[in-house]
Amino acid sequence: MAKEMIAMLLAGGQGSRLYTLTEKLAKPAVPFGGKYRIIDFPLSNCVNSGIDTVGILTQYQPLVLNEYIGNGQPWDLDRLYGGVHVLPPYQKSGGSDWYRGTANAIYQNISFIERYDPKYVIILSGDQICKQDYSDFLEFHKAKNAEFSVAVMEVPWEEAPRFGLMVADENDRITEFQEKPKNPKSNLASMGIYIFNWDILKKYLEEDEADPNSENDFGNNIIPNLLRDNRQMYAYHFSGYWKDVGTIHSLWEANMEVLDAESSGINLFDESWKIHSRNVGMTGHKISAGAEVENTMVSDGCRIKGNVKHSILFAGVKVEAGAVVEDAVIMGGTTIKSGAVVKHCIVAENVTICENAVVGAMPSGDEDGVATVGSGLTIGENAVVGPNAIVQNDMKGGEEQW
Amino acid sequence: MVKSNTSALGIIFPNSYDALVPELVNVRLMASIPFASRYRIIDFILSGMTHSGIGNISVIVNKNYHSLMDHLGSGREWDLVRKNGGLHIFPPFAEKEAKPYVGRASALANILDFLRDAKEKYIIMSDTNMVVNFDFHAMLQTHIETEADMTLAYCEQPIPRGFMNAKNDGRSFYYTFDLEGDRLKKIYINSKEEGVKNLAMNIFIINRELLVEIVDNALLRGQEFFMRDVLMPQINRLNVKGYKYTGYVGFISDMKSYFDENMKLLDDYNLDALFSGSPVHTKIRGDNPTHYINGSKVQNVMVASGCIIEGDVENSVIFRGVKIAKGATVKNCILMQDTVVESGADIEYLITDKDVKISAGKEMKGTDTFPVYISKGQTV
Repeated sequence: MAKEMIAMLLAGGQGSRLYTLTEKLAKPAVPFGGKYRIIDFPLSNCVNSGIDTVGILTQYQPLVLNEYIGNGQPWDLDRLYGGVHVLPPYQKSGGSDWYRGTANAIYQNISFIERYDPKYVIILSGDQICKQDYSDFLEFHKAKNAEFSVAVMEVPWEEAPRFGLMVADENDRITEFQEKPKNPKSNLASMGIYIFNWDILKKYLEEDEADPNSENDFGNNIIPNLLRDNRQMYAYHFSGYWKDVGTIHSLWEANMEVLDAESSGINLFDESWKIHSRNVGMTGHKISAGAEVENTMVSDGCRIKGNVKHSILFAGVKVEAGAVVEDAVIMGGTTIKSGAVVKHCIVAENVTICENAVVGAMPSGDEDGVATVGSGLTIGENAVVGPNAIVQNDMKGGEEQW
Repeated sequence: MVKSNTSALGIIFPNSYDALVPELVNVRLMASIPFASRYRIIDFILSGMTHSGIGNISVIVNKNYHSLMDHLGSGREWDLVRKNGGLHIFPPFAEKEAKPYVGRASALANILDFLRDAKEKYIIMSDTNMVVNFDFHAMLQTHIETEADMTLAYCEQPIPRGFMNAKNDGRSFYYTFDLEGDRLKKIYINSKEEGVKNLAMNIFIINRELLVEIVDNALLRGQEFFMRDVLMPQINRLNVKGYKYTGYVGFISDMKSYFDENMKLLDDYNLDALFSGSPVHTKIRGDNPTHYINGSKVQNVMVASGCIIEGDVENSVIFRGVKIAKGATVKNCILMQDTVVESGADIEYLITDKDVKISAGKEMKGTDTFPVYISKGQTV
């Protein structure tokens, strides 16, 4: 039986601007919001939008991601026909190849897509935090009789030069595409989410593959080629919460926005659009007498005896008595010992911050750096991690890094 | 793969001691009583069995088992979806001559054919009226090494008040042992003696073929209760060993003990004692982490995920999805799933069942010796 629409999720990027956080895992596997990983958002959006077949294209450090996805059961994607499939590059009789670009990654999996004989294919990216109903997007695509649609967000004009921009007429038909232009003609930023008619996508992927000069990229090659041929291309306006979490600062910011759902619009308590994730299975968290917890998200298994303010604590975090945590994102299994001061920072999984160490600092003046500590590290007693530091190795007692 | 020389089959009796907590089992049974912010009591025995390598577990339900079926589902959370074995739920009336059982002997008689056809060499039986991180594997090893016909687990402690105070209803029995070495010499039923006793945990290991023989005999004689009617009269004929359990265990014997056993876990020492063994699995709800909003004040609490807390909470156990509004005060309470405490409400020593709502400004207080229970779905 043919599927109406299947999703292809680009999850191969390294996310090099997340530095130590993506040293051992792919960007879509980066933890977010107390219990999620970034990829939970596009996967949950798929399921909530009625898409039951998702191909995940992986390439960079796929181990954590593979294990996390497993059989797809947490997202209800363990299906007899369809479901979630992790698609790494593979060897073929004609030789083998890494994914050379976003378009090439899809091209190498044409046979996967054809198994489901879909009418439409939605291309998603695995590095955004966004709650979006793709079925509304598909309705728009059909209503416009489009061959290609792209989801766009209005961004402030002064920020527009940082994005790929779609110039559209009053009927939302796209007339021009500008990649990070100096003089933007539009403030409609591409979210990197596309719906294609499958026959059109296949045709252009094959054509693109035959072009030896192509970078095999959707933004740089496929979209300009569609424009050149005057295809039916439309821009779909999305106005909900959307955040590219490609940098340490934006990842930190997005986590902080979870604490302030009313103004940021990312309400994770919304039962009508639940974000699913794999569970850790720990006991309820505990807050001891003498602890202070203010405006904070706390996950299962945490033990809090110190002071925590405006922070996100993932599963199994321990904050000892006398420790202070503020404006911080503390990932699973990390221990913050007594007297340590941890502020305005991201601390990755299974870190030990020893007695009286200082990690990060609240912003002062123009300085608002987010200190970052990589996973599994030990920050020794009295060590100091400056507000702009990115720690990738253990730090001895008293050591300083700025 | 069943290794027929070493494998054990698990059997769980989820209705045992229902009569001791009548309010809590109004809409459920002992096994599915919520516990420790996110679990149901059966999770402890079930997880203990799976972590001890038991991959074939039967739950013999009697009545009020809808909530338990819902909780267990296919058994996936406990890794019990298997081609060989896995989780079986035996409802009553599986056969036309079967009737709702009263005691273990009659319950086992109902599944006699199943027991006869099983491949496992040993059978492990347990009730679900206790919270314990029990290592069944260690007990099975002892059973095998001592070449006992039957091994019964016990712990040394005073008899819980709830057992002693319960009215004699002709079915809620508890037992204490006299031992000589590790050999069980005498079994006492419903003893009223004070002081530390060898208290039976009602966990049995028995060789399957022997059990089939014993149950077959009991069926002939119309015997109902395994311990009272079957085992006590032939205690000296069989080689029955006691297995002393020295780890953490909490018995649910009445409403007060239910309250106390939850509250005990606010002490890290007890929490670690109960949970530091093998992990305890439960049905996953997939809640968001709990959000403490500005202005909330929390001291000495255990809280599950999915809660939104704006008020003051002290010495309490809070289950998944509970909402405590601004200006509400919660002290010494157990609030089960999705309880809502509206602003200005002031509650103390309350046990609220699922979906209870405490309206704005209401004040309601029990005492430490008599916590007040509010049943499922009620609005105060």
